[in-house]
Amino acid sequence: MSSVRFRRYALLLGVLLTSLVLLTVQARGGGPTRAGDLLALALNPVQSVLAKVHRGALGTWHTFTDWKAVRNENAALRADNERLHVQALQVRETDQENRRLRRLLSLRDRLPLTTLTGEIIGREGGGWARSLTVNRGRADGIAQQMPAIVPEGLVGRVAQVRSGASVVQLLNDPTSTVGAVVQRTRTAGLVEGEPSGGLRFKFMARDGAGVTAGDLIVTSGVGTLFPKGIPVGRVTAIEDKGSALFHFAVVAPAVDFARVEEVLLLTGQSAQDVAGLFIPGG
Amino acid sequence: MRFSLLLMAFGGSLAQSSVVPSWSIGGVLPDLPLILTALVALRRGPETGCLVGFASGLFQDAASGSLLGVQALSRGLAGFAMGLLPGRLWVGHPLVQIPGLLLLTVAEGLVRFGLLQLFHYPARLSELFVHVILPQALYNGLVGSACVVAFETAQALRRRHTWI
Repeated sequence: MSSVRFRRYALLLGVLLTSLVLLTVQARGGGPTRAGDLLALALNPVQSVLAKVHRGALGTWHTFTDWKAVRNENAALRADNERLHVQALQVRETDQENRRLRRLLSLRDRLPLTTLTGEIIGREGGGWARSLTVNRGRADGIAQQMPAIVPEGLVGRVAQVRSGASVVQLLNDPTSTVGAVVQRTRTAGLVEGEPSGGLRFKFMARDGAGVTAGDLIVTSGVGTLFPKGIPVGRVTAIEDKGSALFHFAVVAPAVDFARVEEVLLLTGQSAQDVAGLFIPGG
Repeated sequence: MRFSLLLMAFGGSLAQSSVVPSWSIGGVLPDLPLILTALVALRRGPETGCLVGFASGLFQDAASGSLLGVQALSRGLAGFAMGLLPGRLWVGHPLVQIPGLLLLTVAEGLVRFGLLQLFHYPARLSELFVHVILPQALYNGLVGSACVVAFETAQALRRRHTWI
């Protein structure tokens, strides 16, 4: 027990003496000792390596945290971007709808007819029949043969009426026929739909008809179906069959039927020529 | 075993001058070699504590370019004193170890100041106490508690694996 205590205190004394000797030598020498130099010689390279390792580890850690932050930021920005993209699409869609409705309402206000706005809820685009389904039906006072128009011109006529919807036969339906005139020359004829999806203006006058490409075809107003002067299309070519009884003009529809989303259903009649109320190009 | 302790003293001193500076909080750094000395002394007794303290202090003196022997002596004494406690106090509990470490840092600081006074160290004790010794003692207590928890966890894991 006493030897353990003796060894313990001898060690403490040794440590004390060594330290004091070191301090005394330095105090007398006034500078770093050789022992200090030797210790520094062993320490400095390891210190340098350790510092480099530490710097490297810190650098790696910072790179990792930066990468993590950038990844999170990137995910947040992607989510934001997606949300904004959807918002932009919605805004664009609403804007376009707004423009269409404004034009439609503007036309409705100009027309001397009672009208009803209808939204397209279905399409039939096969070559056999071409039609649109509108969300207005019998309950809204829709009847067969009522014309459907848009600011660009004539779309077609109501072919079927149901309780809450009606089917509008498009002008380019192969069974559609509309009495029309060339606006410039007043040449009368019939606009018929073609299986190819185009329109054809069939007229009788062989000589002196003077129909040329670019002429506007409008409804003739003959009969009670269509008011007079609704744009139907423009002549793009004349098919002169020489001795044939009828001449044909190829007509480009005034309305792009594929893009129609709302229509005005004409619930009233007017004998007035409405051609001037339609703005060219809608 | 002695070699590993020496390596620990050496590593602790090197870490103090290379890694620990990045742990600075308001210019205050923990004294890692002193923490290691205290923890070793509590578990291995005064001789080992004294030797580890002396060696780490010596390395730190050399690494910091200060008077060789000042920290060696103060750390040696601190290690010795800490090593004597287990027979007198119940030092196995962290609630004893951490305040003990705090007091040890203060005592070591005072000893070091006393030694440096022999070499006409210009700073005043009051300033040194407020700006250096006390903040470092608190920081040492904090790091020491983390070290104790880490050490206890490591030992528990080691025991579990031994049983398996």
